[in-house]
Amino acid sequence: MIVIVNGSIVGTKETGCALCGGTWGNHYETIEGHNLFFCCHICAKAFKNIINEAKRRGKLENIEYIDIKGNFYKGRIIEARDSKKSYKFYVKFSDEGEIIELKELSNS
Amino acid sequence: MPICPVCRLELDSWMDISEHIEKMANEKSDPQHVMWLNRHISNKEIKKEDLETWLFNYFEKPNELSLWIRKRFIEKFYSHKPHPFMLAMQKPTRGVLLGYVLEHRHFLQNWVKVLSLIVFNTDKDDVIKYELENISTEYLGINGKPSHYELLIRMGESLGLSREIIFSTDPLPSTKESIETWRYIALNRPWIETMAAMHSLEIAADRSNKNYGAKIHYFDIEILNSDKYNKEVKDFLREGYEADIGHTGEALNLIEKYADTRKTIENIKVTVLKSLDALDKYLFARLERAMQFEPELIEVIKQ
Repeated sequence: MIVIVNGSIVGTKETGCALCGGTWGNHYETIEGHNLFFCCHICAKAFKNIINEAKRRGKLENIEYIDIKGNFYKGRIIEARDSKKSYKFYVKFSDEGEIIELKELSNS
Repeated sequence: MPICPVCRLELDSWMDISEHIEKMANEKSDPQHVMWLNRHISNKEIKKEDLETWLFNYFEKPNELSLWIRKRFIEKFYSHKPHPFMLAMQKPTRGVLLGYVLEHRHFLQNWVKVLSLIVFNTDKDDVIKYELENISTEYLGINGKPSHYELLIRMGESLGLSREIIFSTDPLPSTKESIETWRYIALNRPWIETMAAMHSLEIAADRSNKNYGAKIHYFDIEILNSDKYNKEVKDFLREGYEADIGHTGEALNLIEKYADTRKTIENIKVTVLKSLDALDKYLFARLERAMQFEPELIEVIKQ
């Protein structure tokens, strides 16, 4: 799975947290079969919430690509893709990584 | 003795604080410490020694507390990359102003509740008088002038929202979280920290900000003379423009006057940063609400 945060490939300690792109911290989780680096468990939880929503609402299967734009304050625009289709949405998280706002964006 | 800006742990030096933060972030992946680093310094890891230097410069300079608060505010909201809400206020659309109205009603109501707690918790007459005057201006209105709260509602009505809708709309979750932060401070920290947390927020509309390095004002002052905005919008903006310069300076002077120990000053700084963080989140909530009227504002997120 390729994860892009604000234009850069992320997911390792060197490249940055798979949600926020930060390189502080030392938390790893296996998600969709990929061992991904996160700065903390809250970012990991938020990322898993993104995956779940992309699968549930967007009917995606094996997610191959996720593009995340934004940050904690602004909220984030997400584009997730599997081999056949993509799903785009806006999401905002609480301090605990729970979704507090979600809007579907135009999905063609 | 410096304190950790996240958990307020007291240690002997900034080097010790730097080691503590680095350990909490990199060994324990503690979300609070990691988030603080991400939001205040950089999301890219730096060496312990550099972190120590950064912390020293950030917390020790400038020496004067009121100036320190102003500087931190301006660099967060008005420096080379001003906050998107401040940018939106240079030419506010109907959606931006309605987003302001619907969220700010909750902010202002909470504002006077928190100020009341400062009054309850202090024995200083000048502080009590200052806060009661502020509450009157914001919530009751004085000398025959409507309150800031009333002017906000009138602005909303003039832009097409009924009073019923304004009063029955719940705050967005981000506004709620920010309000909870300010309430937590009021209920758990000394009155002087609460006072600093709240009145540092009034720097937002302070006319003198450009003297301290701000690139823009809270809104484009030309709006006050423009025929593109109605009387109610101008009345609301003018009130803040004229009031907050006095409010802010006086409050900061009182805080400086009663912050008489190093420990008090350290704690005020940590609390102010938590408050500014809540403000950052709250200002985005206004934009988020504005998106309900103008979906194209989603472009702000992409920038």
